[in-house]
Amino acid sequence: MLYPAKYYVDGIRSGSRAIIARTMTLLESRLEDHRQLAAQVFEQIVPLAGNSIRVGITGTPGAGKSTLINSLGMHLIEQGHRVAVLAVDPSSSHSGGSILGDKTRMADLCAHEQAFIRPSPSGGLLGGVSPGTRELIMVCEAAGYDVILIETVGVGQSETAVVDMVDFFLLVLIAGAGDDLQGIKKGILEDADAVVINKADGDNIQAALRAQSVYSGVISFKRPRLPGWTPEVMTCSALQRTGLEELWSVVEKHNNWLLESGNLQRLRGQQYARWTTQLCKERLIKEIFKVAAIRTYMDELEQEVAGGALTPLAASARLTEKVMSNLRNKK
Amino acid sequence: MDRHAEWKLSAEKEASRLHKDFNGLYRDTPEKITVKPLYTAEDISSNKLTDTMPGSPPYIRGPRATMYVGRPWTIRQYAGFSTAQESNAFYRRNLAAGQKGLSVAFDLATHRGYDSDNPRVEGDVGKAGVAVDTVEDMKVLFDQIPLDRMSVSMTMNGAVIPVMAFYIVAAEEQGVKPEALTGTIQNDILKEYLCRNTYIYPPKPSMRIISDIIAYCSANMPRFNTISISGYHMGEAGASCVQQVAFTIADGIEYIRAALGAGLKIDDFAPRLSFFFGIGMDLFMNVAMLRAARYLWSETVKSFGAENPRSMALRTHCQTSGWSLTEQDPYNNIVRTTIECMAAALGGTQSMHTNSFDEALGLPTDFSARIARNTQIIVQEESEICRTVDPLAGSYYVESLTNEIIEKARGLIAEIEKHGGMAKAIEAGIPNRMIDQSAAAQQALIDEGERVIVGVNKYRPDKEEHVNVLEIDNVKVCREQVAMLKKIKSERDAAAVKKALDNLRTAAREGGNLLEAAVKAARVRASLGEISDALEDIFGRYIQKTSCVTGVISHVFDQNETAHKDFEDVLAKVDAFEKSHGRRPRVLIAKMGQDGHDRGAKVIASAYADLGFDVDVSPMFSTPEEIARLAVENDVHAVGASSLAAGHKTLIPELVQKLAEMGRSDIKVVAGGVIPPQDYDFLFEHGVKAVFGPGTPMLESAVKTLAVIEAEN
Repeated sequence: MLYPAKYYVDGIRSGSRAIIARTMTLLESRLEDHRQLAAQVFEQIVPLAGNSIRVGITGTPGAGKSTLINSLGMHLIEQGHRVAVLAVDPSSSHSGGSILGDKTRMADLCAHEQAFIRPSPSGGLLGGVSPGTRELIMVCEAAGYDVILIETVGVGQSETAVVDMVDFFLLVLIAGAGDDLQGIKKGILEDADAVVINKADGDNIQAALRAQSVYSGVISFKRPRLPGWTPEVMTCSALQRTGLEELWSVVEKHNNWLLESGNLQRLRGQQYARWTTQLCKERLIKEIFKVAAIRTYMDELEQEVAGGALTPLAASARLTEKVMSNLRNKK
Repeated sequence: MDRHAEWKLSAEKEASRLHKDFNGLYRDTPEKITVKPLYTAEDISSNKLTDTMPGSPPYIRGPRATMYVGRPWTIRQYAGFSTAQESNAFYRRNLAAGQKGLSVAFDLATHRGYDSDNPRVEGDVGKAGVAVDTVEDMKVLFDQIPLDRMSVSMTMNGAVIPVMAFYIVAAEEQGVKPEALTGTIQNDILKEYLCRNTYIYPPKPSMRIISDIIAYCSANMPRFNTISISGYHMGEAGASCVQQVAFTIADGIEYIRAALGAGLKIDDFAPRLSFFFGIGMDLFMNVAMLRAARYLWSETVKSFGAENPRSMALRTHCQTSGWSLTEQDPYNNIVRTTIECMAAALGGTQSMHTNSFDEALGLPTDFSARIARNTQIIVQEESEICRTVDPLAGSYYVESLTNEIIEKARGLIAEIEKHGGMAKAIEAGIPNRMIDQSAAAQQALIDEGERVIVGVNKYRPDKEEHVNVLEIDNVKVCREQVAMLKKIKSERDAAAVKKALDNLRTAAREGGNLLEAAVKAARVRASLGEISDALEDIFGRYIQKTSCVTGVISHVFDQNETAHKDFEDVLAKVDAFEKSHGRRPRVLIAKMGQDGHDRGAKVIASAYADLGFDVDVSPMFSTPEEIARLAVENDVHAVGASSLAAGHKTLIPELVQKLAEMGRSDIKVVAGGVIPPQDYDFLFEHGVKAVFGPGTPMLESAVKTLAVIEAEN
């Protein structure tokens, strides 16, 4: 059921959990009339948004990301923050369905008045981030959440997408595995604004400290994401809730630095520009293939390529030529 | 031509007359064992394990030399409900009717370390077991039952410290010294993280609790089994026989290490380690499972340097499978339980619980409990199977199966060891995933009719039989418990309680035996919740992530053409939904209350995801309000509440109400699990849109849920 745009905007402003949730659904919807309404709502949300620290959190499977988010979130709430968590779960490519199970390790945060957690299916898209994640960030901000934590799915495609929508990018690792680095995508250390070695508790503390010094060494040779910021390596225990204060003070230090240096505006500006490019590409492709003549031509070309009569390169050149000539004729 | 080739020739002829392919006579089991149509002497000729004796290592043929010829297994029915008075009366009736030992079921609030007045446990008090808040309840529970002569088994893992302390103090106040106590405490925490979920603390302090109990009992209660290493719950969670044996032995290895690490000597504690297995419908496989388990345990304990043969003997309790029972045509369950009872007896169990036929519907009544008890009495006293030791020994088939289970389980144990032992492997989710996959695959085999369940997927009756189940007025129980608790708290020496609890905290922080400190707290009437909280202050409360497998169910359906088509039909319906609604149907699968049975919820979550739904999974142990919030926040179309512990009449209506309060009465609620059919109307009246009993095919429930979502309010 759809409501007028004002219903959503007012609901978000008043902090209504139900309406925030419904707005998110609207922004994620794939129906055309939903998308039009969503665009209207979004235009009115943007002026209210922006006032938060956006933190992306990634890590190796088993590093305890969800537990860390639960503990960190609770810590932040105790400090007076309002915390939103956006998590993206992979959809099965076969059926398109998905299991959104991250909340099972965030029981405390789930039950807290000052928290809002919303896992989204990635909709089978590569990149592991649902089409609406950026919009969802802004909805949370407009509703008054001042810390937004964005959790990525596993390790793989999704980090690149998440890095490009956050102010701070945190990499969560654990000690002991030794070959940790092999499991991590190469560029991920370069993207990280900080690394935290989780599960530094009990007889694991020594190993965590060793890992801390190893990663500090590795990271000092990397080019930082933003010139002027030196990434830090810390330890923490999400389970015992130690090291969280230190962890957050680094995020705040980074945030202050972004604000004072004017880098925040620059960073977000660049992110929005890339977002625009991406949206344009997606929309254009969608529109182009809506044209029946183009679709038929594409099918023909594909068959010719499959039959060996045409090379993929030649086919793409022909399709582009056809699209361009269509455009020119319309002029 | 040799006789085997000759046989094969005639077998092929027979098969083709029956329009069957000879190769199709080889059957794959969930254990990944290929069972041959024929076993012969050659199958066991190279097997050295077939010629062993009972009563000595490796104990394949039984832990005692005379087995049932000397004394048959102990009939030990697991029971407990409502208040201590009610349970006590029930126990005494059963003992008078031929039961030999007691087995106490505690309610979920007690399991999870909460007193009855805790707001989180509203729906659970007295429901699936007896409520115990203080030592006074424990005293009433064993009123007129002499604890120096009655062996008592207690299923307790999470709140094991206060419950053991209450038991010891209740005995003490009966005039019975600890050294006279006989029985078993389950005390097996690893399988709680793996599948049963009634843990409280994180794994590390929980392992310490276990070694403290082993140490205390070795010193003070030499006749008491300090642990019952349990595969039963793995079986119920969907583990195959090989998985059940392997993971149980692997758990045992971890406990041995913990006790050794605490400075104990293997031969001082190993004779008091006992086991608990679940017995399913595959008769010979289950017999072989018990034989294989005894061999593997003997081998394992020996490898830790044990010298006392008694250390190497696996003694076990068995329970017939609850998973094999159906809600439909429920009297069939009596027959199923009889077969499973035979398997446990032929496998050489030391004690047994046989399930009541109405267990898939609700709590047993006196009537159904009597039939369950008589089932094993009849097998024991009428069928004459107790006349000789290990009657199936030497069977080509059973010996081959025993051997194959040993080898396959050994492989699994080695894999677990490679990950640093069971505790680490569970943390990494390795055995968990294997069991989930096995569960999902087995459910899919049932749904597509490959595995027959009479009355469910074959020979369905036209009319459903009405069966009465036991109704617990948990509001009344709760009121009584809370009043009692209040009275005890007002009469006790508050300063002494505070001091005892402080000492317990100190012991938890700085070392010192936790059970010893808890016994002192129990004496001065500290409550179960207070003792648990004191430990929680130091150890923290733990919550496990619920992970679900995907792809397994669609894979099984893909193996069969008709099933594949049915599956694709549902997928198409879901795709159509997405086209018209702009997103996939989104469903929250919710576990409310202290009920930790999550196999059903996980299988359903996996199935719905494979069918194209977006499925949110709730944290376990949530309150109705928390679930309503999750549903609103995630803007789901429907909530599927899974209930297996009788809390449905309190928790589900409350969920419906909370959704309405949050302005989302349009979010539909469906329910599934062990819900007595006579409660369906009550739930419908309280806004529930559909109820799915055990045995509902996954596709059927998915289609119906989709219809519920699409229906107008």
